[in-house]
Amino acid sequence: MSLIEISQVLNDSELGTGLRESVYMFPFIEGLHLIGLTLSVGLLFFVDLRLLGIFLPQLPVAQVLRPLRPWLLSGFALTFVTGILLFIAGAAKIIVLPIFFFKLGFIALAGLNALWFELKWGRKIDSWGAAPVLPVTVRLAGVTSLTLWSLVIIAGRLIPYLGYQ
Amino acid sequence: MSILELFNSIQTSALARFIGSLNHLYCAFMELVHITGMLMLLSSLLLTSLNLLGLGLSNVPIQVLKQSTFRLFWWGLGLLILSGLFIFIPAASSYYPNDFFWAKFILIGLGLLTYLTLYRTVTNAVKPDKWLANITGVLVLSLWLGVAFAGRFIGFF
Repeated sequence: MSLIEISQVLNDSELGTGLRESVYMFPFIEGLHLIGLTLSVGLLFFVDLRLLGIFLPQLPVAQVLRPLRPWLLSGFALTFVTGILLFIAGAAKIIVLPIFFFKLGFIALAGLNALWFELKWGRKIDSWGAAPVLPVTVRLAGVTSLTLWSLVIIAGRLIPYLGYQ
Repeated sequence: MSILELFNSIQTSALARFIGSLNHLYCAFMELVHITGMLMLLSSLLLTSLNLLGLGLSNVPIQVLKQSTFRLFWWGLGLLILSGLFIFIPAASSYYPNDFFWAKFILIGLGLLTYLTLYRTVTNAVKPDKWLANITGVLVLSLWLGVAFAGRFIGFF
């Protein structure tokens, strides 16, 4: 079964049809997708700005990252779940859009960047995180995160514009 | 002049016709600016509210957090108003009968009022009363999240 066939099945499923045709449910899920975005990317940007020494440079990185981590991870979970529902509701149209795959690609790259940061720097955060100016590669990880998540949002917002003409 | 007549004349103005003649990706660009503004405004409120509710960054004094985020709130609001106007102008009349459009502006009014009174008082206090801080956090977040939801609903009705 090809990706396009799977998407057609999802699109025509009871869930897909129900979501697409619902009056309140679809905008409600889109609203939740935005709230999830605020929690995840919105809070992550503060961490990135701390890595760049712009936000609360007097505070060790761990003191910004640790208390925000559960919130931004919950935000990513909310964005992910609502994103899957939004995809199912329009799967047949979305799966043929190159911009959708760009979005997934940027998400994957942002994930790899976060994973690399966690493995390389995150585990010994207390040994380097107190300095106001951080190592170049740490700052680079911050810029990369900011850039990639911005691209994810841009690609995501373009989906309906490039899809429903 | 009634509000509907005002909206009609906005939509038939030269500026509205100029915007209407632009490529549809112009609208996508304006919406991206709107989302950027929303992220700036909401995430700065979220950050301070987590502190007010004792749910995160509790080790940072609220005054410090407020000081490092309030510019983001106002810049975000500025971007929202500017992009919002450019989204509104070419289709002004169609927003008139939309209940969510009016609900959004009532919520913005209440959100700003709370921000400028309760929120300002609490975040300027050295040690704000715990209950007042909690109520402020819940109120400010609910109102501005309500604005975001109402905004998202406008496009569907």
